[in-house]
Amino acid sequence: MAQHIFFANKGRAPDRPLRRAGGEWGVALGGGVCSIDGAMAWFSFSPEDFSYAFLSVLMEGVPFILLGTLLSGVIDQFLPSRMMTRYLPRNAFLGICASAAMGAVFPMCECGVVPVIRRLIAKGLPVSNAVAYMLAAPVVNPIVALSTYAAFRGQGAAEFVALRLGLSYAVAVIVALAVLNLPLGAVLKRSVLASAALDPDAGGGRGGPLGLRLAAAMHTGIRDFLDVMVYFIFGVAVSSLFSTAVNQALIVPLALNDWLAVASLMGIAGVLSLCSTSDAFIAATFVAFPGVAKLAFMVFGPMMDLKLLFIYSAVFTKRFVIGLAVGLFVLIGLLCVRLSILGL
Amino acid sequence: MNPPASRFLASLTLLIWGGVMAYFFFSNRIASYLHPAFHWAVLTSALVLVALAAASLVFPDPDDCGCSGQCQKPGRLFLVFLILTGPLLAATFVSPSEFGASAVRNRGIVTSFDQIPAYSPPTEPPLPQADGSIGESTPVNPSAFLPQNASGQLQAETVDLVYASAEPTLREDFENKDVEVIGQFLPARTGNPEGDRFNLVRMFVMCCAADARPIGVTVQGKAEFPEMTWLKVTGKATFPIEAGRRTAVVIADSVEEVEPPEESFIY
Repeated sequence: MAQHIFFANKGRAPDRPLRRAGGEWGVALGGGVCSIDGAMAWFSFSPEDFSYAFLSVLMEGVPFILLGTLLSGVIDQFLPSRMMTRYLPRNAFLGICASAAMGAVFPMCECGVVPVIRRLIAKGLPVSNAVAYMLAAPVVNPIVALSTYAAFRGQGAAEFVALRLGLSYAVAVIVALAVLNLPLGAVLKRSVLASAALDPDAGGGRGGPLGLRLAAAMHTGIRDFLDVMVYFIFGVAVSSLFSTAVNQALIVPLALNDWLAVASLMGIAGVLSLCSTSDAFIAATFVAFPGVAKLAFMVFGPMMDLKLLFIYSAVFTKRFVIGLAVGLFVLIGLLCVRLSILGL
Repeated sequence: MNPPASRFLASLTLLIWGGVMAYFFFSNRIASYLHPAFHWAVLTSALVLVALAAASLVFPDPDDCGCSGQCQKPGRLFLVFLILTGPLLAATFVSPSEFGASAVRNRGIVTSFDQIPAYSPPTEPPLPQADGSIGESTPVNPSAFLPQNASGQLQAETVDLVYASAEPTLREDFENKDVEVIGQFLPARTGNPEGDRFNLVRMFVMCCAADARPIGVTVQGKAEFPEMTWLKVTGKATFPIEAGRRTAVVIADSVEEVEPPEESFIY
């Protein structure tokens, strides 16, 4: 039976054994920033907290990346490239619209979708269609619709679901239309561009014995997994640093102004790098912020965050990724602030 | 680097990842990182990764080089191997499997019900009324779903008390009743003019520890423990209006250090 001690330390060492390994380094800004729980530093790094958040996101994300990369191997070996273009509308605009809606049938999370679109591009899917699917699929799907509805119960759930999915779809289409007008060399990394151009089987699925094709699919999946994981690890490390070391109370005063509220919650979404299936539950808790800011959080986050910044770099040029980040930030910000006329 | 060596490094990377994920699952360490709904995904991934590691050694890549037609330099492959495995192994070793006071403070302690992510108390389903209409659902009496300890005190979570602070029906069921609450100790830096209060926090999780929000109640009673020590507080639940809003305060009769619970999160 546990010893009953009244208001007293049990006599344990002043720090927990597991927490001895590292300390904390705090940085005060301008003489200290007041926060939720009193005056404290705006930045305080703890290796234990960082590694804890880092591992939890890795453990959550790896199954989805693995699924995506295995799927990419199967696509590489078994999906005839012409099959997709055959079923997509020939008109570029309609093709993009159809691609952006494909998440409703083939939902993918934002981590898993990147290796899939890389392989689809190599199999001949137009880059603009791939970008439309990549941006929309993590949000425009039934799973996210349900989770958003659950998160906003009692706060206008149906409106939030409709606006989130509708706005994400519209943004994905607009961005894809912009990509349509860019030269491929400015969008795709040289290695991806080469694989798309040189794929000897671009006209259809690969031939050969089934065993060999399965082995090739497996190795393709493994290569994609290892490739994407390098970027994923960097992204998760940066987001874990921000989510554990930076005092999030800093943003609360920004809630008073629509422009600042929208921008700051998009910034937070970018930093936290949450999964699209769960981010609505976090968005709903930003009670001090207007609805449009929460909407911006839920639209921007699954399209662009710190980990995605790195993962996208596995497929796209650095310049394009930075342009995409800035463009999404501005576009979603403007659309959401404009939506404030709805009284959200 | 020749294809077999490259394949060996890739296989070793997959094996390490699969091994670490299997270790987290079988040691139940995963319970401190992810919502239970994701645990089987971790095990499945671990098994798939180990199987891929073995299969990639046994079955060579028909596409020959193993690097999309462009063989990479040995140094670069080894660097990639280190990036893929070094941080994982280091974090596995360093991580204490729970957040410290620094991260909790940076995230902000949630003491208001409207900041709790999608929490709702158990309710009785709505019943048909005499006029044929459907009535409203009603909160379940906590005594029906909250266990009691041997002394008859309600075993409440911090989240129950925070929610009760805003929900009158629930509040009636807790107010001035003896409760037992388990959570982690943090000194109260605000609202503590007499220096006789501290915060008792518990992490509320939707998916994984990265989205955990610390849900806290104020405990009235002097106590000195290292930050984030697990405590069991027994005392009276009260809901005074402080700083313009109703808040949950437990007037402590006793505070006892306890072992961390098997499920450190609340969902």
